Amino acid sequence: MSAVAAKPQAGGAMNPTAMGVGVVMLLIILALCWYVSPSIGLMALVGIIIGGVLIGFGTHFVPVGGAPAAMGQAPGIATGVAMLAAGAGLAGLFGGAWAAEQGIVIATITGGVGGGLMMAITCMMVNFVYVFGMGIPAASGKVLNDPITGDSQKEFKSQGTEGHGLPFVSFVGGVIGGFLGGAGGTLIYLELLALYEATLPAVMRLPATQVLPIAVAMAGMFAVGLFLVNAVLTAYNITGTIEGPHDPKFKRWPRAIVASAVASALCGFVAILIVAI
Amino acid sequence: MEQIVFGIGITALTGALATIAGSAEDTESNIGSQGDPNSQVQLAPQMGFVHRIFNKAVAGEPPAYGLWCALGAGLAWAFMAMQINAVLAIVLGCVLAVFVQGVYATTAYLGRTASLAKFGQPVYVDILKSMTSVTMAHAFIAIFCVVTLCHLINSALGHPFPLPLLGLIWGIALGAAGSATGNPYYGKERQYQNQKFGAGVPISASGNIVRYAEAGERNSLDNGFFTHKIGGSASGVCFGLIVFLELWRTVLFDKVSAGWGAIVVGILMILIFTVADRYIEVWARKNYGPYTEVKVES
Repeated sequence: MSAVAAKPQAGGAMNPTAMGVGVVMLLIILALCWYVSPSIGLMALVGIIIGGVLIGFGTHFVPVGGAPAAMGQAPGIATGVAMLAAGAGLAGLFGGAWAAEQGIVIATITGGVGGGLMMAITCMMVNFVYVFGMGIPAASGKVLNDPITGDSQKEFKSQGTEGHGLPFVSFVGGVIGGFLGGAGGTLIYLELLALYEATLPAVMRLPATQVLPIAVAMAGMFAVGLFLVNAVLTAYNITGTIEGPHDPKFKRWPRAIVASAVASALCGFVAILIVAI
Repeated sequence: MEQIVFGIGITALTGALATIAGSAEDTESNIGSQGDPNSQVQLAPQMGFVHRIFNKAVAGEPPAYGLWCALGAGLAWAFMAMQINAVLAIVLGCVLAVFVQGVYATTAYLGRTASLAKFGQPVYVDILKSMTSVTMAHAFIAIFCVVTLCHLINSALGHPFPLPLLGLIWGIALGAAGSATGNPYYGKERQYQNQKFGAGVPISASGNIVRYAEAGERNSLDNGFFTHKIGGSASGVCFGLIVFLELWRTVLFDKVSAGWGAIVVGILMILIFTVADRYIEVWARKNYGPYTEVKVES
């Protein structure tokens, strides 16, 4: 088939072959990790993959309108999706890392709540500026009624725009996205920290107390890097903007889950190889 | 008890620093048209509207501030490792980071504006000279506040992350909060001051930004002055609340019920902001009303 004859693929279409290839790649990377580090390394990689998938899935919830939102031409927060998700998730990672000593469950939930809190404050301030600074009510361009409150949306869209501000469903989506992102980032950090704390003293031939700051810094940097990788992948999946869980683009999440799992596995494998070889 | 009081004091100080940082960050980005409204500054000459607005978008605000704050924090960390006094080390680190910001701003303005030559957009050297230094001054305030609060979090509150990593994290969060809150006010309310108040900018008006001031042509200093009053203040409050509440719940409730205390307080705060957001939304719907008649489905 020539390029001219080929039908343009719809943005949301799933490609089973590509998904299958992704799953095979994921299994290959897991097998390689099992070969290099069968116990602690493999466990860490599974945690990293789960964390990466949480970030990739969570980013779909974050309502981002990009440049049109800055002119009140489209609903959502007026910035980049990857950047906003990273801001919220990293704020969560900050809190989660602080609670690392209290166990993986407490730390992960603390990280999630930190990300959710950051998004709650940001989303409320966005609506504050729209309403009290610009005199514009919130309105969605993708649904006739808000799925949570049932408020009608169409009449509140100003002429020549696709909506503006953050309707309540977008606010809730933002908080859920921040929570999942913060929890995912923290989980990646905790897994890598446990791995580095266990292996770095032998690799560097230094006492554990001296290695701890290096382990914390390395795990933190990899967590930030993995966060950005997964957030950017999702930004491509939703082509830059999304209103939240009610947006039709949200249905593309299975594709991002596979992509996030493969990307996280590959990046995580590199992070493990540093101490496993 | 003393430790908790000390922690609350540090938390209050970091909250104040974050508020100043958020405000300075938004004003800096508005003067430089760094956020999403930059698309209109770049588009205007292509639609035939030549202007004197500064246009220095290097990257999105979050990665740009991530870089500058990480750079400032990293250099300050290195100076402190050389046994230089912490205050002097932070100031020196931030000054060097601001020079990097200035270099990026200069090359971005020249590159972006030169690319519009075919549409008749001149490169104004006086704009470059007068605006760059103002954005650098605002960037210094923002970076200094972030690096200082990171230093306090690290040394006084005992966060495990090293200073440069904290600078990267809070720099990205600062850019995210500042651009989310401040961009609409600059993009809609200032750039499109000629459009109706209380409505979004019609897509057909894209590129037709306001180019004239009370006397002569509008420049970006006017934009910074205008947006600082609401957009800048709101960005400051937003980032200040994020930093203050995140630290406050951790410092006070981290040890309660083996960590669950901080989680429960965090969830309660999220619920409070949810109620506040819903109140704002309903208030706007009631007081501003719909643009068109509401159709009741039978």
